[in-house]
Amino acid sequence: MKKLALAAMLSVAAIFPAAAQEVVDWMHIASIPEEVALMEAAVAEYEAANPDVKINMQFLENEAFKAKLTTLLQSDAAPDIFYSWGGGVLTEQAAAGVLRPVEDLVDPAVAEALGSGGMSAFTRDGHIYGLPQQVSEVVLWYNKALFEQAGVDPASLETWEGFLAAIQTFKDAGITPLAVGAKDKWPAHFWWSKLVVRLAGQDAFDAARKGENGGFAAEPFVKAGEMFLELAALEPFQEGFLAASYGDASGYFGDGKAAMHLMGDWDYGAMKDNSANKQGIPDDQLGILPFPTIEGGAGDPTDTLGGINGWLFHKNASDAAVKFMEWYTSAEVGARFGNAGFFIPIAAGAADGMTNPFKVQIAQSINNAHWHAIFFDQELGPQVGGVVNDISAELAGNALSAEEAAELVEEAAADIR
Amino acid sequence: MTTIASSAAISAPRRARRYMDRKSLVPLLLFIPPALILFVVLVVLPMIDAASFSFFDWTGYGPMTDFVGLDNYDDVLSHRHFGTAVRNSLLVIAVSLLVQLPLAMWVSLALVEKRWSVNVIRTLFFLPYMLAEIAAGLIWKFVYDGNYGIIPTVGDAIGMEMPFVLGDKFWVMPAIMLVIVWKYFGFHMMIYIAGLQSIPSEVIEAARLDGVKKWQIVRHIKLPMIWGSIVISVFFSIIGALQLFDLVIPLSNGGPNNSSHTIVTFLYQFGILRMKLGFGGAVSVMLFIACVVITVIYRRLLFSREVD
Repeated sequence: MKKLALAAMLSVAAIFPAAAQEVVDWMHIASIPEEVALMEAAVAEYEAANPDVKINMQFLENEAFKAKLTTLLQSDAAPDIFYSWGGGVLTEQAAAGVLRPVEDLVDPAVAEALGSGGMSAFTRDGHIYGLPQQVSEVVLWYNKALFEQAGVDPASLETWEGFLAAIQTFKDAGITPLAVGAKDKWPAHFWWSKLVVRLAGQDAFDAARKGENGGFAAEPFVKAGEMFLELAALEPFQEGFLAASYGDASGYFGDGKAAMHLMGDWDYGAMKDNSANKQGIPDDQLGILPFPTIEGGAGDPTDTLGGINGWLFHKNASDAAVKFMEWYTSAEVGARFGNAGFFIPIAAGAADGMTNPFKVQIAQSINNAHWHAIFFDQELGPQVGGVVNDISAELAGNALSAEEAAELVEEAAADIR
Repeated sequence: MTTIASSAAISAPRRARRYMDRKSLVPLLLFIPPALILFVVLVVLPMIDAASFSFFDWTGYGPMTDFVGLDNYDDVLSHRHFGTAVRNSLLVIAVSLLVQLPLAMWVSLALVEKRWSVNVIRTLFFLPYMLAEIAAGLIWKFVYDGNYGIIPTVGDAIGMEMPFVLGDKFWVMPAIMLVIVWKYFGFHMMIYIAGLQSIPSEVIEAARLDGVKKWQIVRHIKLPMIWGSIVISVFFSIIGALQLFDLVIPLSNGGPNNSSHTIVTFLYQFGILRMKLGFGGAVSVMLFIACVVITVIYRRLLFSREVD
């Protein structure tokens, strides 16, 4: 009898919380096992402290995520909270009404901690649709051992001329100067974007977006294409780079086969994960170079290119989903990922405790930036961004003229203006 | 006037009686609706849907409001990669018909006998067809990989520098077509073997006794007698080639520099991924019309001959 009562009590205890539990569906693109483990630990911790909330974690591969999201968000299977790069895609999603505006719900203290820059990246027409979690920057990662082997002084890469000279030196030494995953196209678009950031700067970029002064067919954009072609003419990329995905290129660099990789700060972890031995380049052999400056360029030397990434709320997201995200994007949680070297948390104070020297250096450079340009393929939206990715891969393969490239971007931009 | 009316009055009940016949009515009511409903819901409605996208400028989010008439069709036709995609699809059709089917025929003629060893070889040839397209694509991506694949390994062994086939504008289409032939010729081989096995052995024996040469038996007896199988397999080849998608995505993703797109990967890349569903709708309508036209012409030309 006692046993029976106990069993009954247990079963009631087992059923009851389950019935009252609020399920929050989450969708992210993380694929590095250690990063996923950190996420799972954080979620488990939150669930333990809030037994009425259950976070249902789902992950998709990066390209698949981007391709599926449009359909997914308009279906019954839509996730409540999902990863976002902001930019033009967010604008479309907000305009279509698939997102939940949460400005009345978000704790002002949370918004303040995340900073106005970060919050505005997830705000459209005065409505807050998500919370920022991390900032990222595209930097020139380099392999110190290969620089030594070829006798190249990293300081000589400060200018574009010095950079091109170094490329030639690597070629002469039989070392692949650069790795790029041009099959996925977006890794190639970092080159075009960085050149545009240097040559055009914020004012000319904003003007081009509005279609002023000839839009994206204006002189600095043509010049960016010309300089990209100048680089491509030296054949600086690894063999078969047009068939290499981001993962292939990241692994190629991680295996110590290429001297440099122009990639976001996340490549610190990805490069290890994609390398053959899962160790990648040891920290003491790894370095960061700023993108070469260009004489006569209108951009500020401190300008950076990167992203402000975070989480969006689907229109069916519950209050519990928002509360969970307030905690998940906080400095306390962000610092864990920062310390492990996965990303740079945006919440005030989160980055202070970071010990990873690369992430600290990148966080500083973003803080000091005059203009933190958001990835152009995201910022300009899928229609124009897709064309930017196209022409970048073609310029890398020396298959398009600079004028044509600029013309194609302008054409796509004019289409949606 | 009256005669027409009366003749109509006579024939109508007669026709009605034929259909009202209880024997045929029950199966009709029982078996037609499920198939019809599935066909309408899964084929006709999406088709009408896709066709309606093609007249709107639509990102895929929210309702379609921006009617643009035939602009999307104009954009497709003037797109700088559309020509490449069409050319590649035609190339795939040509290779399917001129390389894959003759190869399948040749192999099936050799493997028609019912022997244990023949069965094993036949199964080996048929295996690629049973593999999922994505899996086959990934396997071949590793084979072709210029750093770690089989091709560079072979190249090293014979001391030759091998190209990165999937990163090379010239080699990428031959590489893809090799995979297509490898993957699908077993399927066509099976169709032919089934046809060949249905030929009565007496016919062949009689011919042989009359001193007809081996090649002549194939030419004048076997091929005409499996004409129906050939017609079907050619049809599958053409339509399959026009719809080629899932092998190309893992292999080259349409690259390098958009040089290996087929019509469907073009649709996916520039319509769906770019959130230009109107543009994608226009491509799909054009592809659909092409398929219908080919089907109609093909039926006129070849299926009718089968009846003769």
